[in-house]
Amino acid sequence: MNMIKRPKSGSFLIAGLFILLFSCSKNSSDPGIEDPGSFDKTAMLTNYADNIIIPAYTKLQEDVDALIVGVNAYADAPSTATQDAVKVVYRQAYLSYENIEVFNFGPAGTALLDYYANFSGGLTYSFTENGVLAGYTVDSASIENNITSGNYDLTVYERNNFYSQGFPALGYLLFGPDAIAKFNNNTANRVKYLKDVVQRMKTLVDKIVSDWSTYRNTFISNTKSDVGSPIGNMVNMLAFQMDMMKGPRIGWPFGKQSNGIVFASKSEAYFAGIGSELAGANIKSLKNTFVGGTGSKGISAYLVSLKKETLNNDVLAQFDMVIGKIEAIPDPLSTSFTEDADKVEEAYKEIQKLLTLLKTDVSSALGVQISFMDNDGD
Amino acid sequence: MYLLLWVYRSHLWIMTEINKPVSILPLVRFRIAFGLLMFASLIRFLLRGWIDTVYIKPTFHFSYSGFEWIKPIGDPGMYILFLAVIIASLLICLGLFYRIAAIVFFLGFTYIELIDVTTYLNHYYFISLISFLMIWLPANRKFSLDTHFKLVQSSETVPAWTVGIIRFQLAIVYIFAGLAKLNYDWLIEAQPMKTWLPAKSHLPVIGPLLYKEWVAYLFSWFGAAYDLFIVFFLMNKKSRPVAYLFVIIFHLATAIFFPGIGMFPYVMIASTLIFFPGKIKGDTVLPPIFKQNRLLPYALIMYAVIQILVPLRFLLYPGHLFWHEEGFRFSWRVMLMEKAGAAYFRVKEKQSGRRFEINNSEFLTPLQEKMMSTQPDMIVKYAKYLAEVFRKRGIKDPEVTAEIYVTLNGARSQLFVDSTVNLSVQKTGWQHYNWVLPFKTTR
Repeated sequence: MNMIKRPKSGSFLIAGLFILLFSCSKNSSDPGIEDPGSFDKTAMLTNYADNIIIPAYTKLQEDVDALIVGVNAYADAPSTATQDAVKVVYRQAYLSYENIEVFNFGPAGTALLDYYANFSGGLTYSFTENGVLAGYTVDSASIENNITSGNYDLTVYERNNFYSQGFPALGYLLFGPDAIAKFNNNTANRVKYLKDVVQRMKTLVDKIVSDWSTYRNTFISNTKSDVGSPIGNMVNMLAFQMDMMKGPRIGWPFGKQSNGIVFASKSEAYFAGIGSELAGANIKSLKNTFVGGTGSKGISAYLVSLKKETLNNDVLAQFDMVIGKIEAIPDPLSTSFTEDADKVEEAYKEIQKLLTLLKTDVSSALGVQISFMDNDGD
Repeated sequence: MYLLLWVYRSHLWIMTEINKPVSILPLVRFRIAFGLLMFASLIRFLLRGWIDTVYIKPTFHFSYSGFEWIKPIGDPGMYILFLAVIIASLLICLGLFYRIAAIVFFLGFTYIELIDVTTYLNHYYFISLISFLMIWLPANRKFSLDTHFKLVQSSETVPAWTVGIIRFQLAIVYIFAGLAKLNYDWLIEAQPMKTWLPAKSHLPVIGPLLYKEWVAYLFSWFGAAYDLFIVFFLMNKKSRPVAYLFVIIFHLATAIFFPGIGMFPYVMIASTLIFFPGKIKGDTVLPPIFKQNRLLPYALIMYAVIQILVPLRFLLYPGHLFWHEEGFRFSWRVMLMEKAGAAYFRVKEKQSGRRFEINNSEFLTPLQEKMMSTQPDMIVKYAKYLAEVFRKRGIKDPEVTAEIYVTLNGARSQLFVDSTVNLSVQKTGWQHYNWVLPFKTTR
């Protein structure tokens, strides 16, 4: 098997290339020389942490505190007046929640905030028949059972339990059918459950806010782009949130999986009737995340530094397109699925385009894998 | 008459060449290193919980055409199978019941790999080939428990072909990997390096440089040159030590830069040790345990021809290789493309016109969805599966169409397949997929 003799010059060629490779790595240790083609990822991540993520969680924390005050007032004297009052703070807290959904990693990921605060059912469940717990529905049977028995543990990791708490359950308890009347029967248990649900939300959010004060350093110092890295997480979550928009948030309850059969009660904030406004807040927060707030220290600017200016412009334009289309859908969203189907249809089409851009072009350009295993790089 | 004589002489010559006595040491080293590495790889796979996520959880698997009968064997079946292969790898390393262990390893490992196309990796294919070859190699004739317990007679020498075949296999891997890099995207556009390197700017010292385009070109060209020529330097006695240093540095570098490629760098670092010969002590003739088989030369030639032709089969297809991926697998094409897709499937009932959009997450794991979205043969297999599912759900004559967008090596995402074609009735196999739309380069 001693097949071919060595061409002498070849080894020198390789040795030469090798030396070249190493000599350039020496040059790079020169500090202070900022290359125009480079991009400061630490500055980008610091911007995200300090100017977007932490303020967004802090705002949510404040709004949940205000929600507790409103809920207590309602629980003390259930009436249409206190119901209207609590709806204001409920809506505000829910809108703030939409701003942090895209940051569902790190402390929020550990706390499973998205499961316990606003369960979407996940992407693996389909909307093909009624009665199945899917989407943003609530498990009213479990809720009523919990109230009657007084025997429940909201921290249990169970699908029924996710569907018995958070914003959706709160919506059912505060604004659901005969909500006020129901507080007149079995009042003590119902009030306790209501307060437990909102208190659990506060516990979760408080923990995440305090965890971010330490997680911040981990976040800004990891400039990798692989699976589980901050950059990898943010890009993955942008795509995931668009998947949610196309799926449980709009497309599936709209009947896309079910030949147009609408699942109104599985849409987000069904009882409060603010699904469209929430979707609008969500998509605007996604755009804000893509841009990175002011614009020079975000994923968008990173794309431009990689000479992907056209792609960046197209993504920004598509964000605006989707925002416009979603804002055109009147609330309650669940009614618009049938009353304004053409508007929902238009929004759905544009959502899919934006999802495609984020999932393929953007993640590819940034070298971010939407994956979890070894690959050949092919 | 002369022709017959020539054939006969060639036969005699080949018989002498391939049966020349050489030291057994390279083979023994290879056996021990391979066994250990496989043991480590399989334990890693187990510890990461991948048996569950890849072979137990999924409801649907992308089988290889012709191997549809290969199915996962459930829980605890899959764990038992893995355990058997893990034990076999240890036995190979120790050289105990070596041949049986090699057979169990080859069959077990290959069975696992054939369950789902989406898990295909070139180095898994490499492991299957090597373990197949090892069945036939006398790698347990020294430093093994088989010789220790006198289960086989030990030997200082082995026929030259037994070491040569592994070297040949490595040469195939490197040279074809190098040839695959001789394309426009790799050499002229420096893609996908230009895309991947800036994502590695966190690396110490060299990090900031990775934004520079010339670095992407350097990586691309150096990588191609390395793959094309390293085997020749490894074969030459004088350059061998330096060449092996290159092997170590190159593969460690790929492991640092591209941790996603997993065990591949270590497999190559260990395997290339086979190029170091050993000194023969004492007898320089083969012991009589090695009977000469007159058919052996033809078996070796056939193996070599297959190994050369399989990676070249892409030449028979008209489409863009990276886009259509016809003749792409089993060809040592690694790190060649950044490809990502988004696939939206629809099922329509012909008579009633009822339409159902597919939620891929309902049927596929994230890995399966990602792989399927860019590879035509998997797209068809998935479409066929969807048709079957919807038939069971009571849909008559389901038509499966898909709107799929794919981006390749920095080109903008574009429609991948004809979105009007009923994919569930398309054939998978050797023929050209004419329902895949042509690739347009727009960067």
